[in-house]
Order: sequence, then C-alpha cells, then structure tokens
Amino acid sequence: MKKLSLFIVLTLMISLLAACGGNNGKGNTTEPGSNANGGSSSNSGDKVTIDFWHSMGGSNGEAIAAMVKRFNDAHPNIEVVETFQGNYAETVTKLQQAAASNQAPEVAMIERGFVELFSDAEVLADLVPVLEEVGVTKDDFVQGLMGDTEHDGALISLPFNRSTPIMHVNKTILEELGMDIPTNWDELAEVAKAAVVKNGSETTRYGLTMPYDTWYPIAMIQQLGGTVFDESQTTTPFTTDGKGKQVFQYLKDLQAEGALFYPPAADSGSIVNSMFTEGKVAVLFQSTGTIGGLLKGVDFDYVTAYLPQNVQYSTPTGGGNIVMFDNAKNKEAGATFMQWLMTEAAGAQQFIIDTGYLPITHKMVESNEIKELWSKEPIRETAYKQLEYAVDTNKDLAWPSIQPEFFSAIEAIMYDNEDIDATLAKLQQSAERLLAE
Amino acid sequence: MGKKRVSSVIRPYLMILPAMIGIGVFVIYPIFYLAYLSLHKYNLMNPAKSKFIGLDNYADLFARDEFYKVLGNTALYTFATVLITLVLSVAIAVWVSKNTKFNQFIQAGIFTPHIVSIVSIALVWMWMMEPSLGFLNYILKSVGLPTSQWLQSSSTAMASIIFVSVWQGIGYYVLIIVAALQGVSPSIYEAASLDNASKWKIFYKITLPMISPQLFFILIIMTIGSFKVFDTVRMMTLGGPNNSTNTLVYYIYQNRTTNIGYASATGMVLMLVIGILTFVYFRMLANKVHYQ
Repeated sequence: MKKLSLFIVLTLMISLLAACGGNNGKGNTTEPGSNANGGSSSNSGDKVTIDFWHSMGGSNGEAIAAMVKRFNDAHPNIEVVETFQGNYAETVTKLQQAAASNQAPEVAMIERGFVELFSDAEVLADLVPVLEEVGVTKDDFVQGLMGDTEHDGALISLPFNRSTPIMHVNKTILEELGMDIPTNWDELAEVAKAAVVKNGSETTRYGLTMPYDTWYPIAMIQQLGGTVFDESQTTTPFTTDGKGKQVFQYLKDLQAEGALFYPPAADSGSIVNSMFTEGKVAVLFQSTGTIGGLLKGVDFDYVTAYLPQNVQYSTPTGGGNIVMFDNAKNKEAGATFMQWLMTEAAGAQQFIIDTGYLPITHKMVESNEIKELWSKEPIRETAYKQLEYAVDTNKDLAWPSIQPEFFSAIEAIMYDNEDIDATLAKLQQSAERLLAE
Repeated sequence: MGKKRVSSVIRPYLMILPAMIGIGVFVIYPIFYLAYLSLHKYNLMNPAKSKFIGLDNYADLFARDEFYKVLGNTALYTFATVLITLVLSVAIAVWVSKNTKFNQFIQAGIFTPHIVSIVSIALVWMWMMEPSLGFLNYILKSVGLPTSQWLQSSSTAMASIIFVSVWQGIGYYVLIIVAALQGVSPSIYEAASLDNASKWKIFYKITLPMISPQLFFILIIMTIGSFKVFDTVRMMTLGGPNNSTNTLVYYIYQNRTTNIGYASATGMVLMLVIGILTFVYFRMLANKVHYQ
C-alpha cells in the first residue's frame, strides 16, 4: 500500500513536471536577446530585436561587433544582438539545443562542414526569396565558395567568413638560400630541406610546418587528383588508391629529415604562427584568415603563394557560412540583416577587409575598396585567385563524425609513427561504417 | 478517525515533496530521458525525424574497438590516480600529522594546487611539458637525463595526465587523513608503546584501521570522480594523441553533436559501471572498515 502510494505520488509529480516543462518551453519563445536588453524591446514599440550567433573571438570578434554596430546605426527599427558562442563546434552544439527548444537565433554562423547537419534536420530557411527582394541570385556569389549552400533545391546558407589554406613564405630565407618560391611538391621538399638549421642536436629553423588539421592532408590528396569521398559517398578512395599513402609518406619523409615540424594538437595554430613570425620556419601552410595577423608580426619579406601542385593545383575551403532559422521569431528583420550583409559596402565587405577572409560576391571583388586593398597588400589577392582551384571533396552528412577518425589517423601517423597502410585501412573501415548510416 | 488516518498517510509525502521535486527534475527525469535517447537514432533539432532503433546504439558501442580503448584508458586512469593518491596522501599525512609550524607550512603548500582552477593548472603544466621549449625537459636535460615527449606521444600522455591529476588532488586528501589521524585517541598509542609494539606494527594494526572510514570515503569519492574525468583531458590533450587519453566522459562529449543517441548509450554504460563499482565497494569493504 505504502509503496503503491509512493509510486502514485512519484508518477503524478513527474507528469506534473513534464507539463511544467512543456509550458515553459512555449512561454519562453520570446527571443533570447530580450533578456540582454532588460526586456525593453517589447514596449519600445516598433523596434524588433534579433539575435546573431557567431564563432568569432579576438580581433575577428571586434570586427563582427563593429559590423553589427554599423547595421544598428543605419536601422533604427532593428536591433541586432551579436553573441560570441565559442568555437565552431561549440556554436553548433548550442544551436542544436536552441533549435530543439524553439529558441534559435534569427541569424547564425555555422562552419561549412556542419551546415548539412542542420539542413538535414530541416530547420534552415530558404534564402532565395530573401535575396530576390534585393535582386541578388546565387550566381552573384563566388562559385568556389558555394559548396555547402544548397539542400533539396533550396538555398539554405550563404558564404560569409570563408577561407582556404594557402602557402605563406618567408622570402628572406629563400633569398638567403638562393631559391625560388616552390610551385610543386619536389621544389617544396628541396626548399624545406635546404632551410633547416641545426644547432647541435637541436633544430633552430625548420623548412615547413602547418597546423594540426585535416585541411592540409586533404589539400594534398586533392593535389594528387584524389578525393576524400567517392561520387556515391560510400567510401574513401584516397585510402585505397595510394594517394593517402603518398601524402603521408611525403610528410613523414620530411619529418624524419627534420625539415617538417608537425606541431602538437593543442593550440597548433598559434604555435606555427609564432614560429613563422619569429623566422623559425621558411614555409607555412595556413589559412588565409591569418594573413592580417601575420602581416602585423613579421619583420621580413613575407609573401603568399598557391599551395604547391602535384598533378594539379587544388585547395579545400573552410570557414563559416551564415544561415537563417526557419522557426525564428523575427524572420523579416533577420532577412533585412542578411540583405544588408550581402549587398552593402559597410556589411560583410568591410568585415572581410578588416579580417582577411575571402570576398564572397563578384560585386565585392570588383569594388574599389577591395581593389585598393589588393593593390596595397597583393598577398591577399593570391588567396582569391587560388579559389579557381577550390573544391571540397568531403561533403557528406557524415563528415562531422568522420573527421575525428581522420584526426586519429593523423595522430597515429604523425606522432606515433604507426604504419601508414594499416592506419588508412582502419580509417576507411570507420568511414565506410559512418557513411552507411 | 478516517480523516486522521488520511492526513497521517499523506503528511510524510507532503513533507518530502519539495526534496522529491528536486530529485525528480534533476535526477530521475534526466536518467529516464537518457535511457530514452539511447534507444533512438535521435535528431535533436527535428524530433519528427528521430527513429526508434532499440538496442542498436548499444550493439554499435560494444562492437567498436575505440569504446574498449576508451574504457581501458578510463580504468587505467582511475586505478593509477586512486592508488597513487591514496598511498602518497597517507604517507604525507603521517609525515605532517604532528601539529608544528613547519608541518602546517608543508600542508598549506600541498593543499594550494587544490584551490587553483584546474584550467589554469592544466595550462601551466602544458607549458612546462612542451617537449622542445618546456621547463621539465630543460631540467631533465640539464641533469643529463633523457627527455620525454610528455603529452605529445601516446606512450607518455596518459602518465602525464595522471601526474597532473594526482598533483592537483593530493592536498585535499592529505588534509582529510591528517584530520583523521589527529582524531585517533592517543591512549591507544600509549597502550601500544607500553606493549613495546614496533612503529610499523602500530601503523598497520592501529593507525590504518582507525582511519579506515576516511580511507574508504576517499576510495569511493575518488574512484567515482576519476571515472568521470573530463577537464584535464579536455584542456591538455583533447583525448589524443591517437585516442591514448580519451576517457568515457570525453568520448560522450565528442559524440554529442553528431550522434546524441550513441552518446546517451555511452552515458548509460558509464552510469552502470559507476553503479556497479559503488555497490561492490560497499559490499566488499563495508565489513573491513572499522567504525568507532
């Protein structure tokens, strides 16, 4: 009897709680940003508040804040609240939770590889009508950056802060060696080996380095004419056709000779950047998004060039797209913000000038501001020109799950000197399982 | 009469209601929800697209090599951390248990890492463990010892993390054991010394049994805590290199974005393992622990 009543009370309580939970969910569908505004948005009449979540910290974050301020100053009826939500992966997690509880922001930045996770869940708004209002179509955007923008015929995201890996060169070192900027793998290997300076057993200058990332091995696989996924998206051709093996063997040989410095996983980007600015490495593979920061740090002749080719030039792309959530509250104001970003000189264009990301529309490329910047700092133009060779062969819903496996393979080969063939076979096995899901 | 009986039946439940609401919201509901998620291929953003897949997530989990690797790592981490911490903290506690100025200084010194945020600690140790420029290798080199790759090789990364965890946690446990030692009645020691008992005999026949409740407490708390290790892994290695420091909780964290059902299934397994461990501890050790 006692046990029974306890059970009844418990069940009642849980259902009560569940009911409470449901009510709360519905009662709170006001935009999260209203809290930050002290709730004043509702009674100030016409003014609507929209949220913009992004992953830009540091100086890039300041550029976002400045951009949003320019918008707010020009639009008295709309207040955009920009919120830094952590790195790309953290932002994705928060967006998932927000979307699940109907609290998604109007506009958000999503790393290109994660876009499909959201389009697959059908939570993103179609942007064709938004762009139509201001006479823009998808053909106005730079083709190489449109890889992750369409889903079932709808335009669900637009490129925003996009970048590619590029080769950063310390030309002063090359001149000292009497060598030219490498354009293919063989030349790169020669330069990298020649640039090494050893002080006893300690290497004080390396030839080549790159951040710990899947980007660079993928770029090299594509330079060999390989792809990450096959057309039918069931397997990873590079693990069997010898191209993956060739890439890692090339890197391992350079590493064994002391010419390649492969950095530790944690914080690898800042480690290689400071090595480069301190003149401790001749050639750096790194994102175009770092050009601005490197320019400030270097005191030598710094140039950028295409990633060296093997059978072809090739580069993957990266960085973030922006999206609108379909069930967000103030979609119209969100649309106005999107239109402003893509068309006005004070919008994304100025942000791109401030940071070093790639221009995203043809109009931006032809604008006086960008042309002026390029004539002043020609190294920024290289990245844009390289877009001609931009292709992403890792597009699949399963990529976010496969990427950690790819990282494990990099770690096994680059840190633990494990057998390349066996490691790639293991990677293929997990990738095929994840692709089949 | 009837009224009285009803109220006397209901009253206790009313009394515990506030506490039960808290437990219901924050413990019972999440557990059931976790179990629910673990049986689905769940789409967080669009529940309509979720699929009930029965025990597939569990089958998948137990079929993957990486799960056993992660489980093994967690067990190794727990075993090593608990054992080293226990032995060292008992030794240090016995050493500093006499209440002198010098001992208080030592105690404060050992305790300090515990009050510093693990994030700062992890960052400082990461700098010191950096293989080419770090302080530790500099010291090793200057005294002519071979250097280590520390966090950057899968053969040393786990040991490095265990080292930092022990270093950070030990002060707290020393404090507990010192308090326990000081609580042991001096009359027992006097009786033992009258009997001419050796120091070692006094230690394991008197000291250890008398502080066994505290040791037992530490054992349970530490085992459960270590099994759920996350912060040091997240800060120092991100589970690498090559999964060598990946632990259960970090593994759950890694899978949360792309496959919440699978992550939930792992969470259920973690809960089960900790449940079993606690049960076994209480069963096996309860009668070996001396309560005054």
